[in-house]
Amino acid sequence: MSKSIFELVDQLPTNNMTIMVLRSLDFVVPGQWDNLVGFTNTIRTVTGETDESLIQQIGDRAVCLYNDKSQGYQRAMWLYQTVDRTDSALGAAALANKVGEKIPLMGFLNKITPKADKAQTIDLCMKLVVELVAFCQINGIPGDSIGDFVGSLGDYSGESLMRMAALVCIDGLIPLGPDFILKALSTLNGTNPTELEQNNTFQSVKDLIPGGNTAGQLNFINQSFDSVKGWMSGFVSGRGLTPENVINNMQKFVEISADKLDYLGAFLDMTTNYYEHTGTQTLARRLIERAVAEI
Amino acid sequence: MIFPGLRRILAPFLLAVLLLVTSCSAKQPSRFDQAQIESTKRGATPAVVKESQQGSSFNKFLPKGGGGYDRVFTQEKKGFAEAKLNKNGKNVAMLSISDTVNLPDAAKKFQSSTQKIGGYPAVDVGNTQTAVLVGHYQVKVLSRDPSFTKSDRDAWLKQFDLNGLANLK
Repeated sequence: MSKSIFELVDQLPTNNMTIMVLRSLDFVVPGQWDNLVGFTNTIRTVTGETDESLIQQIGDRAVCLYNDKSQGYQRAMWLYQTVDRTDSALGAAALANKVGEKIPLMGFLNKITPKADKAQTIDLCMKLVVELVAFCQINGIPGDSIGDFVGSLGDYSGESLMRMAALVCIDGLIPLGPDFILKALSTLNGTNPTELEQNNTFQSVKDLIPGGNTAGQLNFINQSFDSVKGWMSGFVSGRGLTPENVINNMQKFVEISADKLDYLGAFLDMTTNYYEHTGTQTLARRLIERAVAEI
Repeated sequence: MIFPGLRRILAPFLLAVLLLVTSCSAKQPSRFDQAQIESTKRGATPAVVKESQQGSSFNKFLPKGGGGYDRVFTQEKKGFAEAKLNKNGKNVAMLSISDTVNLPDAAKKFQSSTQKIGGYPAVDVGNTQTAVLVGHYQVKVLSRDPSFTKSDRDAWLKQFDLNGLANLK
């Protein structure tokens, strides 16, 4: 049986590779993410309520909403979990005996295979598409106009904004370089449905990607990337993000040299699950916001 | 041998109890276990029932914002619509409409209501919420910042099109 929402939120870690990496990205979205964990704690923080019987009612309603499969919350959770599978053995190895010292990336080079640009581009795009699909599963399509919908997308904050920051940095800037948006666009244009079909990340989540068949899904991926590229380039230029300043902040806990960036990208991919982690936090927040308004 | 049948079933029964107890103790008990059991058992009432009003039909009754406040729609699910109220980019309150057909208990609290807003029964909930019942629809304003007080909530509740909502079939 799948886990309850309160178990998932109660079991969110407070110290692992994912947390270290996300904390190092605080400079991108200052103060937006504080790793809120624990179901009851999340209810208190999100709602500002303190009465125990009220907290019980809110939690009970959130649990019921999550378990009603027609409401799409479990599909969203599955998407966040599936697009972001970690090689947990490597994650644990990286952290072993590393309290207070840096992780030497050199020690893992033989366990890491950098992804080809095409595979990395598809990964980046699949995460974006998952964000879009999960957003609609969780929130519906808010408002009565395209403008309302775009407004609700543009209102990203907290852990959602951190997830997008991590996407840009970890799946864009580090593995693909400063011109990752252009690079991804041209790679995507040169990808055919057969190649997409062979990509592991696509394979794992394709059942929930709109488009009907692989060609239609590739089209949907292209359209999705096209619709967010303006936002992404604004995000990168507005915050002055470069591979160098992202890496400078990561060097507080991992030893890397600038010529091994593709290895760093693959290492982070294998040792973190920031989509699942922050996605669980987003889902919990939205469920609780709905529950407190409905009780 | 008075209870041969009992003896035969005693060992498997004890084993089953043991397995049940150990499998349960492996998990931390939670105050939400009961809700989890109730909502996942066979034939459980869904959180959102078929008869529920669509969330999209609620949007037009929400106040538009203005006076330094931006309204940003955040959720539109069956039986529920919600928007943020932001001031200077900061979220100060939430505005919501929900269909109590999905949660009849939510409507019951209005039976002891002593105040009216816009002619409809109103109650305060917890530290942060004020709610109005319009037919079987619940309208709520929830503070998300200490600067947004009970009187702000009352004022914003009056800005919903409550009479329009009352006519929603």
